[in-house]
Amino acid sequence: MKAGISRLALLALLAGGLSGCFAMLPTQGGAYTEFSGERRFNTADVLLEPGYEIELVTSGLTFPTGIAFDASGRPYVLEAGYSYGEVFTTPRLLRLEPGGATTVVASGEGGPWTGVVFDDGAFYVASFGAILRVDLNGSISTVLEGLPSEGDHHTNGPAIGPDGWLYFGQGTATNSGVVGPDNYEFGWLKRAPRHHDIPCEEIVLAGENFTSDNPFRGAPDSPLPGDPEQVTTGAYVPFGTVTTPGQVVGGQVPCTGAIMRVRPSGGPPELVAWGFRNPFGLAFSSDGRLYVTDNGFDERGSRPVFGTGDLMYVIEPGRWYGWPDFYAGHLLDEENRGKSHPGPPMRPLLARHPSQPPEPVAAFGVHASADGFDFSRNPAFGNVGQAFVAQLGDMVPGVGKTLAPVGFKVVKVDVATGVVHDFAVNRGELQGPASWGNHGGLERPVAVRFDPAGTALYVVDFGVLTSDERGNYPRPGTGAVWRITRTGTAR
Amino acid sequence: MKCITALPALALALLALSACGSARRSVPVAGPMAIADPQVALGERVFMRECSVCHPRGEAGLAPGINNKPLPEFLIKFQVRNGLGAMLSFSEEHVSPEELDAIVEYLEHMRGRG
Repeated sequence: MKAGISRLALLALLAGGLSGCFAMLPTQGGAYTEFSGERRFNTADVLLEPGYEIELVTSGLTFPTGIAFDASGRPYVLEAGYSYGEVFTTPRLLRLEPGGATTVVASGEGGPWTGVVFDDGAFYVASFGAILRVDLNGSISTVLEGLPSEGDHHTNGPAIGPDGWLYFGQGTATNSGVVGPDNYEFGWLKRAPRHHDIPCEEIVLAGENFTSDNPFRGAPDSPLPGDPEQVTTGAYVPFGTVTTPGQVVGGQVPCTGAIMRVRPSGGPPELVAWGFRNPFGLAFSSDGRLYVTDNGFDERGSRPVFGTGDLMYVIEPGRWYGWPDFYAGHLLDEENRGKSHPGPPMRPLLARHPSQPPEPVAAFGVHASADGFDFSRNPAFGNVGQAFVAQLGDMVPGVGKTLAPVGFKVVKVDVATGVVHDFAVNRGELQGPASWGNHGGLERPVAVRFDPAGTALYVVDFGVLTSDERGNYPRPGTGAVWRITRTGTAR
Repeated sequence: MKCITALPALALALLALSACGSARRSVPVAGPMAIADPQVALGERVFMRECSVCHPRGEAGLAPGINNKPLPEFLIKFQVRNGLGAMLSFSEEHVSPEELDAIVEYLEHMRGRG
């Protein structure tokens, strides 16, 4: 009896003590750091799965986001031309020369260029609201335009399918369906005050509305009549627009939060699947199935969502994957999933859900930003069939709170079991970016791709991007490309 | 008397919250990991599905690292079922009793890699 009372007291104390723990502990995201001077590089600061080694291929890049290889196996790296933090530069495609030098193949405008693939003599680039074709002589033409990229997330991918179509992702305008002050802080709401999410098929709203401060208050060009102090906004509508229960929003393609496809020769896009948040990485496995990484919710804005990790899905054409009301196949209000601390319970935005969403293949850390990935296919490299995933890393505190840095590494995923193993990480007491750990290791891996032989894994490192309560601070010229090979096989 | 009851509880609470060395146990840090025990392998899969997003492979992330904390089995199970603080609770519908047993074994395996 006495032991029972003691145990109860212990549990009560733990419950009381731990309940306030998360709120009391300090935020320690990997972006929440200082950085000045030159970025250092030291391969000894990168720890790998035994049997592999890493080398630096090139550095000094500005916001690199993707890599591809031409028909002769030469690598080309993409510079985005934009970074969160509202820093605009010139998007470019660069050829990587032996020895680490780069040659500009093409320069564009209107970043971000978020990904690149090579097929049948040309590069295909996911650009701001468009898919571009870049020929080897540097000429640029448009395959598809008019994609809704003005919001938080952009046009991603692309990947060439076994059917020869170009598959690409289109991220959502918002974190969780509702335009709010967080989008003003991102910067885009000032440029596109009427922008909002677009469903791919007709939806019926629950009529949930959210009241926030008016970030346009006092601005001479405020788009809101009467310059109110507070603004109420519903889902899938412009900032300051109220919705009603049962309100129908028509679907259209192109839409946000979707995988679509287009012929490389152009033509209208077709919907593949929808209900994603930011489907950034796309890759086909050797058996021809399309896999996607989807960045999970942030704890920000008018409808913050807590504790949802990034996910990997295998794509079933025509399916709806759950955004903005589900996470990993579970309703956000189920057992208080997604609820902020403190915060109200989550309530669905949709009165009816298109279907029960599929379960993910794998899950990654909350705010890890699981992005570009590729499958190993050569026994000489090993881990055949496993997906290698670049994790850009958190952008705390803007996306929410973490107790330690999350991401900033390359992991491998057994897509059959969902088991995720670290593959390339930094040394130190905690995993974090090199700028946070004050060393010369990985900063922000954003994409990986095997060379055509499948014997070398190239890692695109976006470079330094720090954050604080006021915003994000990307550092031009700090991006890099690394190469990982089996020990003793490096060129 | 209350103090006498509370003291061991407080000590255990502090023990539970305190870190014993780094929580890093992944392959690049701690070396190859071969899991032969099917129960531990099941625990790994369930941990990946339900726990790893907040405790990436038991390391710190959104939530504290747990690879390096000597939490007793009953406390792990209590916390999973009741979800203290910011942590979710997981019903038997989400994590079956067998899966919860397996998670405990997996955590013990990870603790042993330290």
